Amino acid sequence: MPSVNGSAVKKVIVACDAGMGSSVMVASTLKGKLKKYGVDVSHTPVNELPGDEGVVVLCHQGLAARAQQTAPNAVVVPFAIFMGDPAFTKVEKAIANGEDLES
Amino acid sequence: MSLPDAQVNKNRSGGAGAAVQRLGRFLSGMIMPNIGAFIAWGLITAFFIPTGWTPNEGFAELVGPMITYLLPLLIGYTGGKMIHDTRGGVIGAIVTMGVIVGSDVPMFLGAMIVGPAAAWLLKQFDKAIEGKVKAGFEMLIDNFSIGILGMLLAMLGKLIIGPVVQQLVEWAGDGVQFLVDNSLLPLASIIVEPAKVLFLNNAINHGVFTTLGTVEAEETGKSILFMIESNPGPGLGILAAFLFFGPKMLRASVPGAMIIHFFGGIHEIYFPYILMKPKLIAAAIAGGMAGVLTGVIFNNGLVAPPSPGSIFAWATFTPRGEYVTMFLQVFIAAAVAFVVGFFLLKFDKELRQEAKEEAEAEARGEHIAA
Repeated sequence: MPSVNGSAVKKVIVACDAGMGSSVMVASTLKGKLKKYGVDVSHTPVNELPGDEGVVVLCHQGLAARAQQTAPNAVVVPFAIFMGDPAFTKVEKAIANGEDLES
Repeated sequence: MSLPDAQVNKNRSGGAGAAVQRLGRFLSGMIMPNIGAFIAWGLITAFFIPTGWTPNEGFAELVGPMITYLLPLLIGYTGGKMIHDTRGGVIGAIVTMGVIVGSDVPMFLGAMIVGPAAAWLLKQFDKAIEGKVKAGFEMLIDNFSIGILGMLLAMLGKLIIGPVVQQLVEWAGDGVQFLVDNSLLPLASIIVEPAKVLFLNNAINHGVFTTLGTVEAEETGKSILFMIESNPGPGLGILAAFLFFGPKMLRASVPGAMIIHFFGGIHEIYFPYILMKPKLIAAAIAGGMAGVLTGVIFNNGLVAPPSPGSIFAWATFTPRGEYVTMFLQVFIAAAVAFVVGFFLLKFDKELRQEAKEEAEAEARGEHIAA
């Protein structure tokens, strides 16, 4: 299982099916929150996720299986709802406090 | 009760589900990057055709060539590019030209077939000769491989694929017409609404309805097919039901979700609420069917594909003089979804338990933690 320490995260990618709708929305809300830690937030279609290590991917749980197939080395953190999901807080906390994240 | 940790449920989908999503993504992936071009075409149509807002013969000349050439070529290019980068895109466009010339209907389906197929063939050729080309001859080979293969495939497209796909498109159109004539179109919602929630929304809408609807809109000026998946009504009704009768801890997030869904057109935002209470899918289906039925009764249609499915996109592409029935279609869909959602949530065991515990706690005068 890929894992990464929050302090090593430089890039968080939000993925959705088309990479044009919900992922853009989630990414723009996260961008503000993670900016102060020097973490870049971007969005992409789930099929075009880069396979790099040390990348944290956020996507809806219904797409998580596909995300992990496309990017086997990325840490995939699934969420259930698009606003106020605990997964967003978890990622932010891990980055702020240097805690481990794993898929 | 706290929000479920998505991590625990992540292995539920996968296998077959992921494969279907992948196929759907492949179809919608050729259309979605080009939606802007569809909208430009739709705006030009809505304004300048004889029945439009500001009829203008000169500008209306854009309508035909854009739907016949521009849109299929963009789709063929994008489909090719998905398989084999820019080279794939170029050969995809060349071969799409073959099927366009070989048929009399807009060749979206043809472009979605030959674009990726041509790119795949070119990819095989490129792989076969990789490392075997003498230094200095790469450019010559690269250009002429696209040129020659493109020429042959375009001829094949013109002679065989174009006419065959045209026949398929006509059958599909007849099938849709049959459903419309016999008022069977609402049944589509039984498949569409559950598929949406499984994140096949783009695949269904753009893979099927955008393609068939645009062909119909070119003939008749509008199509009801654009209104089946993209109606923001059912989602609004379900969110409203959650706002008043849903689990307490979810209610706070609902108003924001309603705005994003109804005005921003991002339907994904209501899927999680249904996935948490799966029986609510019945409310989505009922709302969807009621909406489509209303549309069939009033002979509604939209001029171009409204994407994203926002009420603003719907209003933009509503034909002149059909606003009342369009809003009625959205409103009825929302109302039906709300009422069905209300009953499903009202008689939900878990929620009744939650309400009961709360009432008891209140009776004991305890403070209730949110």
